[in-house]
Amino acid sequence: MAVPGDGHPDGGGRLIRPYSLTGGRTRPSRSDLAMTSQVVAVPMMESDSELEPEHHSILRSCAAPVSVAELASRTRLPLGVLRILLSDLLDNGHVMVHESLWQRQRPDVQTLRSVIDRIRAL
Amino acid sequence: MSDTAGTVPDALKILVAGGFGAGKTTLVAALSEVESLHTEELITAESIGVDDLDGVESKTTTTVALDFGRITLDARTVIYMFGTPGQRRFSFMWDELAEGALGAIVLADTRRLEDCFETIDFFERRGVPFIVAVNCFDGIRSHMPGDVRIALDVDSGVPVMLCDARDRESVKRVMIELVSHVLELELSGA
Repeated sequence: MAVPGDGHPDGGGRLIRPYSLTGGRTRPSRSDLAMTSQVVAVPMMESDSELEPEHHSILRSCAAPVSVAELASRTRLPLGVLRILLSDLLDNGHVMVHESLWQRQRPDVQTLRSVIDRIRAL
Repeated sequence: MSDTAGTVPDALKILVAGGFGAGKTTLVAALSEVESLHTEELITAESIGVDDLDGVESKTTTTVALDFGRITLDARTVIYMFGTPGQRRFSFMWDELAEGALGAIVLADTRRLEDCFETIDFFERRGVPFIVAVNCFDGIRSHMPGDVRIALDVDSGVPVMLCDARDRESVKRVMIELVSHVLELELSGA
């Protein structure tokens, strides 16, 4: 397991080693968590005792759909760590993930024209 | 997942690349509806090859910061702009950023045009459509786009334009130029 040395490179105050949050795992169990994928929490009837505080923090931050990149920014978790925790939540059915239509295919001509018009109108 | 489709937007990814200090963060901020979204990635020496990490022991991690912005076009379409870390040591991250990217803006600083070479090579190799925007933040148009094109040796089909990364309207023109370029490539069957 790879962990930071004595100091956090940016001098920030992270008190625990990031990958200790993930039980030492450095790879998520799934690979469909692109930075632009939208994540939304599935409302829970009762609390899940399996979840760590970081899982709860993620769930609170994605009550409404939000991209993986924004979720990393909101929770202040490094992307790699977030993805591992998110894959736990996905495996347990606590979140749903919507991958962008355009992650695996290019937009068609009509979409591109509409995007140009909408940028112009901003 | 199909059961969330229709209620959440599909995202278009646009990369903003360029050397250190070229104005990537400024350009993203000029158009983003949210201020300075920021994330970081942990990288391990093993993941990038120990030789590339000067003075950093193996088995340690370091972080790479990633600035990004969001532009909501409508309920179904969102653009994310990612300011890509320029250093070669973060090339592993470029692969992920390039995956599914609509296109890229190579932001050039005329004082350090050589900073763009590697980026342009990468986008050409990966087939990511890109345009070159010369940031004239000092107000001095010391270079003409034609000179920059020659200096960077980019294909004649690649648009090269001047911009002011601080100016919202100017950045909108850059974005329109990029998407228009992608559209042209699509229409020409490239």
